[in-house]
Amino acid sequence: MNGKALLRVACGGVLCAVFAAGLFAGSLTHYPYALQFREVPNAAPSALHPFGTDSLGRDLLARLLYGTRVSLLLAPAAALLSTLIAGVFGGIAGLAGGWSEKVILSLADLSMALPLLFVLIAMRALLPLDVSPLLSVAATFLLLGALGWPSSLRVTWAAARNLRDSDFLLLARAGGCRPARILLRHVMPNLRAVLFAQFWISIPLFILTEATLSMLGLGVMEPLPSWGNLLKGLEDFSAVRANPWMLSPLVLLLVVVVCFQFILPAQGEPA
Amino acid sequence: MFRAGQRLLMLALLSLLGGLLGATLVRFAPGYGMDESELDPRLSQASRDAIRSQHELHSGLLAYYGNYLVRAAHGDFGRSEWLNRPIAGLLEERFPLTLRSVMLGVLTAWFAAIALALAGLASRGWLLELTGTLASGFLIALPAAVVALAAMYLRAPVFVAIGAVTFPKVFRYLRNLLAHAYEQPYVLAARARGIGQARLLFRHVLRLVAPPVAALLGVSISMAFGAAIPMEALCDSPGIGQLAWLAALNRDLPLIMNLTLVVTLITVAANSAADLLHEEAQ
Repeated sequence: MNGKALLRVACGGVLCAVFAAGLFAGSLTHYPYALQFREVPNAAPSALHPFGTDSLGRDLLARLLYGTRVSLLLAPAAALLSTLIAGVFGGIAGLAGGWSEKVILSLADLSMALPLLFVLIAMRALLPLDVSPLLSVAATFLLLGALGWPSSLRVTWAAARNLRDSDFLLLARAGGCRPARILLRHVMPNLRAVLFAQFWISIPLFILTEATLSMLGLGVMEPLPSWGNLLKGLEDFSAVRANPWMLSPLVLLLVVVVCFQFILPAQGEPA
Repeated sequence: MFRAGQRLLMLALLSLLGGLLGATLVRFAPGYGMDESELDPRLSQASRDAIRSQHELHSGLLAYYGNYLVRAAHGDFGRSEWLNRPIAGLLEERFPLTLRSVMLGVLTAWFAAIALALAGLASRGWLLELTGTLASGFLIALPAAVVALAAMYLRAPVFVAIGAVTFPKVFRYLRNLLAHAYEQPYVLAARARGIGQARLLFRHVLRLVAPPVAALLGVSISMAFGAAIPMEALCDSPGIGQLAWLAALNRDLPLIMNLTLVVTLITVAANSAADLLHEEAQ
């Protein structure tokens, strides 16, 4: 195993550990994420609160673990949705060609030209802002999934276009295979590697976008924790300087995003 | 010339389509056209009807969009519901600041990316390569809002923060392009014949990378406009990024849709110009 493969395995291990910690948050901490210890706000790490408490006296480790659950479960769900949209429409555009290809690619170009954050906050503003925390989580990640497909679509379209004139598709068409069956049974399996790479690339992108949205007050609503609204605590510079452990959500987010970057083989490298 | 005309037509069509989507969202958003004054029990039904007709609630989507386009052609983008001011005035006040920050940010990002990528590849020194890779890897893993907070903490100008968010994507793409170009057999042969670095770069390498670099320029402007929202919101810079954020928080739909349309128009125009450059360079 060479150095790069070893690094990939290590990154995979770190991601599995963080994912498991979020999934089993209830077993790793006794405190609910919203429970306040009003007598100890901004407390330093101790045996009772290993990562200290935030400005409202909530246990930071509990919030970090439950926030990990929210961010690391829902970002892949949003990535799955965007990859599915990209797969279906990119596949149709690549295979069908003609006007449907032009329309789909023009829509993708328009969406790609738009700054994602502008569209996201415009769409988020259409929904009431005082929604329940659970609804805010669903809305945030659904919007990310529904709007984050254009660049993946371009890649999928290019891969599908290469398949358009392949012998096995010609044979399938000659055998009377219907377009839907060709797409699902013949094209999609051949696009699996491309779609998997796009899915994997989208996850850190959605984690980072959710963080920015929540820091702007337009993402996941309090008291439900996510990495984004945990980072909101960093706006109070004096508190961060006095309690550097408030940086722990940022460190965790950095580690996870860097691991996601390393885990995919670079272009030209063996997978 | 024909290609440029085709691009302009495409730009107009895409903008009209984007506008129609925006109008659809505003027209059918929950609570559209509701006015608090309608709740006043002293108002008669006739007064309520007058208020509602003021909001064009009875007009269909196409009539609503048509009216909007006619008014927009005369420079009237409607009124902000939250600030109760004409949107055209707000754009006039705030747009130049954002445009300046975005342009300076894009220039900063490109300057840093070109300098680091070229220095690393030309010198073939591991230190510069590592510096570029680490800086881009670190910055790409940070949420834009955290970069904005860091800029505020360090009292850096907004354009530096926009540049920091745009830099890693530009650097990575540019570095890969340049590395690919430097590996071409004719570049290696030229290097072996002892051609100077500057001549090698301008005569051989830049010719190869110019088309994709032109395309990247358009994309980087779109990225920089996206980065302007958290930067201006958190660094308290009164541009259209901050205005879009405040409009979203105050659910001022006409304002946010107009801002999104303006940014769409600019980024689509930038991408079309970049595509034309790309074709010219090819």
